[in-house]
Amino acid sequence: MIGGLFIYNHKGEVLISRVYRDDIGTANTLHCGDSESRCKTPILKQSSLEVTCNWKASGDPNPPGALSLPSKVCRVWRRNAVDAFRVNVIHARQQVRSPVTNIARTSFFHVKRSNIWLAAVTKQNVNAAMVFEFLYKMCDVMTAYFGKISEENIKNNFVLIYELLDEILDFGYPQNSETGALKTFITQQGIKSQTKEEQSQITSQVTGQIGWRREGIKYRRNELFLDVLESVNLLMSPQGQVLSAHVSGRVVMKSYLSGMPECKFGMNDKIVIEKQGKGTADETGKSGKQSIAIDDCTFHQCVRLSKFDSERSISFIPPDGEFELMRYRTTKDIILPFRVIPLVREVGRTKLEVKVVIKSNFKPSLLAQKIEVRIPTPLNTSGVQVICMKGKAKYKASENAIVWKIKRMAGMKESQISAEIELLPTNDKKKWARPPISMNFEVPFAPSGLKVRYLKVFEPKLNYSDHDVIKWVRYIGRSGIYETRC
Amino acid sequence: MPYLGGEEAQRELRRALSNPHVQADPARYRGAVLRVIRLMAQGADVSGLFPEMVKAGAVPDVVQKKLVSFYVRAQAPRQPQLALLAVNSLRKDCAHPSPAVRGLALRTMCGLRMPGIQEYLQQPLVNGLRDKASYVRRAAVLGCAKMVKLQGDCEVDGALVNELYSLLRDQDPIVVVNCLRALEEILKKEGGVVINKPIAHHLLNRMPDLDQWGQSEVLTFLLRYKPRSEDELFDILNLLDGYLKSSSASVVMAATKLFLVLAREYPDVQADVLVRVKGPLLSACTSESRELCFTALCHVRQILRSLPGHFSSHYKKFFCSYSEPHYIKCQKMEVLCELVNDENVQQVLEELKSYCTDVSEELAQGAIFAVANIARTYTDQCVGILTELLGLQQEHITSAVVRAFRDLAWLCPQCTDAVCQALPGCEDTIQDSEGKQALVWLLGTHGEKIPNAPYVLEDFVENVKSETFPAVKMELLTALVRLFLARPAECQDMLGRLLYYCIEEEQDMAVRDRGLFYYRLLQSGVEEVKRVLCSPKSDPSLGLLGDQSKQPVNAWALDFNTLATVYGRERWALISAQQPVEPSYSCSPCADSRNTDTESPVSEGNKEVLEVQPDTHMSEENKELLKVHPDAGSLSLIPDVSLTAEQFEKTWLSLDTSCQLSLPWCGPVHADTIQTALRVVHIHTIAMSKTGAQPWKAYLSAQDDSGCLFLTELLLEAADAELQVSVKQNEAKPEALQCFISALRTVLEAVAGLES
Repeated sequence: MIGGLFIYNHKGEVLISRVYRDDIGTANTLHCGDSESRCKTPILKQSSLEVTCNWKASGDPNPPGALSLPSKVCRVWRRNAVDAFRVNVIHARQQVRSPVTNIARTSFFHVKRSNIWLAAVTKQNVNAAMVFEFLYKMCDVMTAYFGKISEENIKNNFVLIYELLDEILDFGYPQNSETGALKTFITQQGIKSQTKEEQSQITSQVTGQIGWRREGIKYRRNELFLDVLESVNLLMSPQGQVLSAHVSGRVVMKSYLSGMPECKFGMNDKIVIEKQGKGTADETGKSGKQSIAIDDCTFHQCVRLSKFDSERSISFIPPDGEFELMRYRTTKDIILPFRVIPLVREVGRTKLEVKVVIKSNFKPSLLAQKIEVRIPTPLNTSGVQVICMKGKAKYKASENAIVWKIKRMAGMKESQISAEIELLPTNDKKKWARPPISMNFEVPFAPSGLKVRYLKVFEPKLNYSDHDVIKWVRYIGRSGIYETRC
Repeated sequence: MPYLGGEEAQRELRRALSNPHVQADPARYRGAVLRVIRLMAQGADVSGLFPEMVKAGAVPDVVQKKLVSFYVRAQAPRQPQLALLAVNSLRKDCAHPSPAVRGLALRTMCGLRMPGIQEYLQQPLVNGLRDKASYVRRAAVLGCAKMVKLQGDCEVDGALVNELYSLLRDQDPIVVVNCLRALEEILKKEGGVVINKPIAHHLLNRMPDLDQWGQSEVLTFLLRYKPRSEDELFDILNLLDGYLKSSSASVVMAATKLFLVLAREYPDVQADVLVRVKGPLLSACTSESRELCFTALCHVRQILRSLPGHFSSHYKKFFCSYSEPHYIKCQKMEVLCELVNDENVQQVLEELKSYCTDVSEELAQGAIFAVANIARTYTDQCVGILTELLGLQQEHITSAVVRAFRDLAWLCPQCTDAVCQALPGCEDTIQDSEGKQALVWLLGTHGEKIPNAPYVLEDFVENVKSETFPAVKMELLTALVRLFLARPAECQDMLGRLLYYCIEEEQDMAVRDRGLFYYRLLQSGVEEVKRVLCSPKSDPSLGLLGDQSKQPVNAWALDFNTLATVYGRERWALISAQQPVEPSYSCSPCADSRNTDTESPVSEGNKEVLEVQPDTHMSEENKELLKVHPDAGSLSLIPDVSLTAEQFEKTWLSLDTSCQLSLPWCGPVHADTIQTALRVVHIHTIAMSKTGAQPWKAYLSAQDDSGCLFLTELLLEAADAELQVSVKQNEAKPEALQCFISALRTVLEAVAGLES
């Protein structure tokens, strides 16, 4: 159970603070030293709800910053756990030691998104995985409502965030956190008061047996979108040997379907195909190549697991809107979209020659996008000369790296960059540790080889058939941690 | 400051809120309410707008209602009288046709923290529990828990508990889980919610409908259920099988724990479960969510402690990548150390070797110690790697390697020769105390195998004056005396010089005494010195002791999926040990509600709070204060304790602290007020600093009717906003201690309230 939730900016100022439990921040005393009133009394002690915004008027065009903190009227004293977190984690000199920090017998579970810190606080011995998952969910929900989690967005939407916090956590216990369902309760600043119909939806949605879908959904056009999103991770030795590689993928579905549709999803999972393809030897040989071995997969709550275990078929009634149907991991037969071949030569003590070749390894008809190669340089670099065949390359002194960007690159191509790095002579005998060359990219296929074979929709009550549903499938492969040592 | 002044802003807002034209236009009306909230969020005092805001809550617009509810909850404790206004309109909202409004009203009411709210709460809550919309039922169920927490001391209403138990059969999954949570809190004193067979089976059947939070929590509640027979046990395990592969890591972990605990008598089932969660755990370990990855790694380490070979074939998954945060790298290195076997040792060592030159010194040293750890089993390869690292001549690397060598020489005597060969040349690069100590120890103990040992030590002796670390000097003395026994001719002269320096010139007493000791020991003859100093040079058995022998799974099954695993057992023991009287913390709201009770009517008086109670009815008065904890029995402190300051000091020093806590405190302490207040509850002041002294201290004593003494120290550090309280007790009576602490706390909080 979560005692409180705080959102800090990178300076350690509290943007949002919501305390659910009394045991958190016991030293929280909100003092009101109003000079007009006769007495000085400590008033709010351990309020169950606290509001603070520490943002100042500095150049913020929006109303929240229009007034600066009045010093006389009210001061919030919070020399307590909240501050301790700022001092011990956000302002700490050394790197973060652990995402769970214990300060004064209070555990802080923290997650960082861009430069915003989210911290869940508790004094209980809780289930760490659950708290982190909750924080991730919280981030997802906020993103769904107002886009990127940034200081400005949080300030502009603070009422909405408090509203959300009120809805997804009650007394510190996670309640309904599905974005789709939440949208029936929280209209994004929507002015319209709820109609009769919507009210009855709230009632029926939660009285129905299926928690994730309400009844009576209607769409003029039945449509569904399937996104296969994969991130491919690689660690390669300088000699080109794969040290470790894996793909973690997600199948995200956006469904706009009427009624209570029953869906069946099929992919080229090895086990399924082998089961079906017992016919001719020829077929198995052929399909064997195309099928993939999934190491491990997990499904959204709506998937009937019993059916998956017995027949390996994935059938479900989808939630309305966007959700993550499945999550999987593969380690075998991964198509590595790029090969990086580094060549580093030290010429004397003050010069370094670097040559990096990247080779794209997929069908020539496909285009990879947003390619970025990051070649680290030693700390004592004084100057860099870069020549590249394609794209743009720049030495970024602040990041100690040469960043080489290519907008687009077709398959089965090769490109090269060479750089001369001049070094300042140093007395430091420390050998340069040579951090790995890392890469970012996006490719329009699934590096694991996963293919969606079918997605069938049945709705027995309403009269639309599988053929009437418009289906879209998209594959996106992104780089996770894609590193080649040099 | 360009601030307009709270008063003016307030006045303007009041005008806007009560303007009928604004009220007629929903958008403008809400805009005004929003401005109030903004102002409040910035810390301004907007309490004056309470009546207008309550009125603003009586519109059909749900969003506006929410904003008002937000305001009311924050402001109600300041204005208990006006809050009643809000209660009225909230009660009206509880009968609103829209479930969203009903639920909101219930939540708001339960969130009002003012005295006497309970009587207004009861009826709406009972209605809420029977509401046809599950949204309202969810709020009502948790509302019950909040209400019980608010009243604190009263008897738990049996009817309410029964109602909640029956709601476990509710259709809505979240209501079911909320019921469990609420019952757990309400029945805390009786050991929480009871999971009997029908409830357990019911919950098992409802599992598929729950969301991930619900599943994870229900799995934790099910830990409490003990199946009657083996068949039932295996039925349950079969039913829950799917959750071992759930998409949510928390559900997987909760399910694993349940399996491990339920199957505590079936080791093969446990082993099987651990094999089956391998996949999910590995994907959590390689997931992009770093925090989750960290949690999973902690659990992997826990499992490895019982099943060392469990993840060996997947060792590559635990290779660090450059951009991972520090904490993950450290965990991964630890895991790598534990899953080394004959097949992968080569690759793992190669990998660890590359971390040894990491930019972060801490990480590099960690990697070196990891290699040293593996060296206990695979000595030759590791010593080779470590020796190679010495060639880099990096200060932090050499220091760590030499320290690793010292431990190795002690634990694995077979590698001594290799270590001795590698040492020459290190002395130039080592700068830190730890590294120097290790080097000197090695030179002294194994000096006969290192040809230039005396010369290296001679350098140390030459520079002893500029040596900053006393620990190095001590080590140097011991090492030189040892080496003198092995190679007397080369060492005699410098030993003389060192002893002379230590005895005549050294400032540090410990070093001087050590010098004197060796001097006198040497006077008693070489044979005697040998007898004293020539102890064994290695002790391999220590390595076995230090090695954590395989723990049985049952030893940690209950810690699985708790913070104990994440923090590590030792640290967790430390953290939880500091909370000897945990209940007294969670009871703090009761103490508080009590506090506000007494305080509000006498806002302008000061000491009356405590003096209204007649001095003569001491024991009754105690009960009055202590009824906060009805379960604690009666603690009555006797009015006159004859304890002199000397006796107090003696007793104080002989006892261990039984409880420590800190209370919020602002400003100086008025000694008289505290003393008077404490005397009322029969806590006597033995000694106390003057008002305004920094740090301010006080010593208190009290005795109950059974003769148990309570000694207390109050400490207020300068510029500290917390009063540190430590209590000692001469007999271990946790219940009495709890009563005493809550009494003390109540008094101190009351005083704090008066003073600030």
